[in-house]
Formats: sequence, C-alpha cells, structure tokens
Amino acid sequence: MTIYSVYIINKGGGLIYQYDNNVPKIEVEKTFSYPLELTLKIHDEKVVVAFGQRDGIKVGHVVLAVNGLPVNGRQLEDGQDVMELLNNDDKYPLNIKFGRPKLSKNEEIMFAGMFHSLFAISVQLSPVPHSTGIQMLETDTFKLCCSQTLTGIKFVVLSDPRQVGQDSFLKKLYEIYADYALKNPFYSIDMPINCELFDVNLQQALEQADKITVG
Amino acid sequence: MFDLNEMVMAQEVLVMPPYSGELFTLTYGALVSQLLKDYENDAEVNKQLDKMGYNIGIRLIEDFLARSNAGRCNDFRETADAIAKVGFKMFLGIVPVVTNWSASGDEFSLLLENNPLTDFVELPEGHSSLNYSNILCGVLRGALEMVEMEVAVWFVQDQLKGDNLTEIRLKFIKRL
Amino acid sequence: MTIYTLYIFDRNGTCRHYSEWNRKNQSGLSIDEECKLMYGMLSSLKSFVGRMSPVDQKESFHSYRTNKYKLHFYETPSGLQFVMTTDLNVGNITDILQQMYCNIYLEYVVKNPFCSREEAVKSELFKTKLDEYVRGLPIFATKLS
Repeated sequence: MTIYSVYIINKGGGLIYQYDNNVPKIEVEKTFSYPLELTLKIHDEKVVVAFGQRDGIKVGHVVLAVNGLPVNGRQLEDGQDVMELLNNDDKYPLNIKFGRPKLSKNEEIMFAGMFHSLFAISVQLSPVPHSTGIQMLETDTFKLCCSQTLTGIKFVVLSDPRQVGQDSFLKKLYEIYADYALKNPFYSIDMPINCELFDVNLQQALEQADKITVG
Repeated sequence: MFDLNEMVMAQEVLVMPPYSGELFTLTYGALVSQLLKDYENDAEVNKQLDKMGYNIGIRLIEDFLARSNAGRCNDFRETADAIAKVGFKMFLGIVPVVTNWSASGDEFSLLLENNPLTDFVELPEGHSSLNYSNILCGVLRGALEMVEMEVAVWFVQDQLKGDNLTEIRLKFIKRL
Repeated sequence: MTIYTLYIFDRNGTCRHYSEWNRKNQSGLSIDEECKLMYGMLSSLKSFVGRMSPVDQKESFHSYRTNKYKLHFYETPSGLQFVMTTDLNVGNITDILQQMYCNIYLEYVVKNPFCSREEAVKSELFKTKLDEYVRGLPIFATKLS
C-alpha cells in the first residue's frame, strides 16, 4: 500500500506527530532564454508559477533554484531577489529549477488545525443525525483517511487514491500510539511525540503496509 | 488541462440547432446600424458593442464549458486553441488561425478568413474607426474573465476596411 | 440509496439554489448561515486538498464521507459548485452533477436572460426541472420511511 504521510492531531487541533513516508519528489530543471514564457507571482513569500504550464512545469510549482543556487523564499541564497533577476534580460540564459513545494513545518501545523475545524463543521452540516466528522476524503491524487478515537485524538493517513484497507493501518497506528507514546511515563499527553520506540514501530508498520499490496 | 481531440469530438456530436445563419447576420447588422443612429461617434458604438459582447461572453462560457467538457487551461496556448478550434467552431462555424505569438507567449492573433458577422456588409463612408464586429472582443473578454483570466482584446485588421484578413489580437494580462 | 440535499454556489459564494429531499437533521442555523458555512467549508477544503496533495492536481476533491453521509462536490472551470449530500451507498456521482450543470442549470438559468447572475435562482421552471431530474435518478430511492 502506498502511504504518503501520517498525521496525529490532538483534541485541541494541535499537530503532535507528522511523518512523511513516501512523498514523491517533483522537480524540473530547464534553461530559459529571455523573455520567460511563464507568468510568475509571489504567493506566501514564494515565487510561484501562476500561468503558462509547459515541459512538466506546472501551475503551482515554485522556483527552487536559479543557475544551481538554491532559492530561499523570494531570494536566492546570495540575497538576490528572484523576481528582479528573472525580469532582467541581461542575465539570460538562466537555468531554473521548478518543483512542487514541500510543506513547511508551519504549514503542516496550520493544515492540521484546519482539518480539525473542517472535521467539526462536517459534523454540524450533516443532513442526518449523529454523524461523525470526515472519515474519508477522496481527491484525484490522494485519499485521506481519518479515525478519531473516543478521547478525541485524530489519526490521519494520506495514501494513493486507489488504495483500500487503510482502516487496519489506522487501527495499528492507534495501538502503536497507545503502546509507545501513552505508556511511556515520560510522554506528556497532548504534546508532540518524541519517542524513539514510537518512531521505530511506526516505520515497521509502514514497511509492513507497503508490502501488503506487493504480495 | 483538456484534451483537444476529445473536445472536438464531443462537439461534433452536439449539432447546433438549425437556425438560419442569415437571420443572425441580419440581426447583428440591424443592431449595429441602430447603434450608429443612437450614438454620436464610432468610439462610443465600439464601446457599446464591446459591453454587449461582454454580457454575452459571461453567459456563453457556461455553454462552452458544458458542451465541450473542457477543463481549466494552464497555458495561454491551450487557451488559444480552445478559443479557435472549439469556441469559434462551436458558435460561428469557423476555425480562425492562431498566429503571431509574442516572444513571451502572452499575446497572439486570431486570423479570420471570412467573418460570418460581416456577410452582406459594406461600411458606409465616414466610419473609418468603427469596429463593426467589436462584439467579438467583448465576448472573448467576458468569457475568459469567467475562467479567471483577464485579457485585452482588440481588432488589428478588418476586411471591411480593405485589409486582406480580419485579425483579432488577444493579450493575457493576469490570472484573476 | 437516497439523496438528502443539494446546494449550488456561484464563484462569489452566493447560494444560487438549495433544495432538500430526505433530510433528517437540521444544522440549527438559518438556511443563509448554513449556506455560508457550507461554502466556507468547501473553500477551506479546496485549499487544504490543493496544498496537501503529494503530487500536482488537476481537480480538487470529489467527495468526503463520514459514518452517516457522503458529500459530493463538482466545480466547473467558471467556478460554479454543485454539492450534493447522499447516504453512504452512493458511488461517484460526478457525472450526475455534471449533467445537472449541462442539462438543467445551463438551459434554464444561464440561457434565461431574466435570471440575475448575483442572487438565488427564482425561476420556477428551473426548480421544477431540477426536482424532476433528481427524483428520476436511480440513486433517489422511492420507498422511504
């Protein structure tokens, strides 16, 4: 089974654990001459492709590097402004690396909180009584499965959209949480999980889950 | 992204209702000539035609999307193809040539060999700045605005004014 | 199988149409507030899904399910959103929502020159056609308690 990542959210909506298992890396490098046939914009302090999809560079990709120099937000490592550089025809040809941006730690925390609220709203908007929140979210590129324990902890797994059988993995995850986080006397409840045994066992469970579809 | 072949095939199944094309051309002609009587100068008439076109465009886009099964364009070249090969074909029965791209890929021209709006039309004297088919510019602008694209559209050449071809130019301004 | 509710939103978040068939639970909000909450949730879900997706996306999410109901979502490139809630036995109904857009919304709202583009659709013809269409769907079960 292809599991992309695992999130654990406490009952207040705080992210207490996140692990990327198998997130594909999407990067495209190309040499451009002036003018650039792509429309770029600044979004969330990043230089993002707004329009003009070509050669594997998709709308939503960010500029990761220019001429081999990594980009940090809106600036190159040496302090040059990326937009200024790309608008300057003297500097061309330029080799630019584009890619799908990875989630930052802050974004992970923000999206965990967002999911927590979405979960609550989906309960309120239920057309039938006694509904839980979102248990499964289906998109064309991934499937999100969530199980909430009676104590309010949410386990969230992102996997391949065609994948089935996440329920047993979520159950396993709950067991690992109970065994290696909660039973550890030095783990404080609702706080981020920093337990080595937990990590090891989670990885084992993920490896096992990966094998299931292979076999 | 959309698959052009799929779209072209899809629209061939959907045959346009059998209204008379001439009635359409005549109706449009009557409209323009009435506007020329109601407004003082050509510039104002151009503006009114553009406005009407805009109001058509913001509705027509839904018809286009529903019948062509098109997805969102992520590149202006896709947009150009969708307009020429699907949109014009679907609503006017012609396929303009997409050409004269700007270097940065944000501007192109549509070349029309025969414009169904101008059948039977002879421009009267003293209306050299009238863009008779200006409604098309408004339609394109309105339709694209509804799919979150701001563009500028204008006439470059017009067969009614003695040019060999009719040329409409589109410039991408921004994603809304 | 059964259908509970249908919401149609335009790109500005205005609820152009709401109808319910076998709804058994109210949100405790006025219909206006409920629509706002629904639209807000959908916008957040869209941005959530767009950013969480491990690979590049063409479309956003098409459904979510809880233990009691399923919500189906279809959005046109022009930003019209068709949202239907059903019970859990209903599969992927994107094509049904698309049909609703092509055959009903387009014909009776977009092509009706007197339908305002900013507010809820008042056309009775549209409402009747839509209701007929939904009641005629195989997923609209007839025998209900």
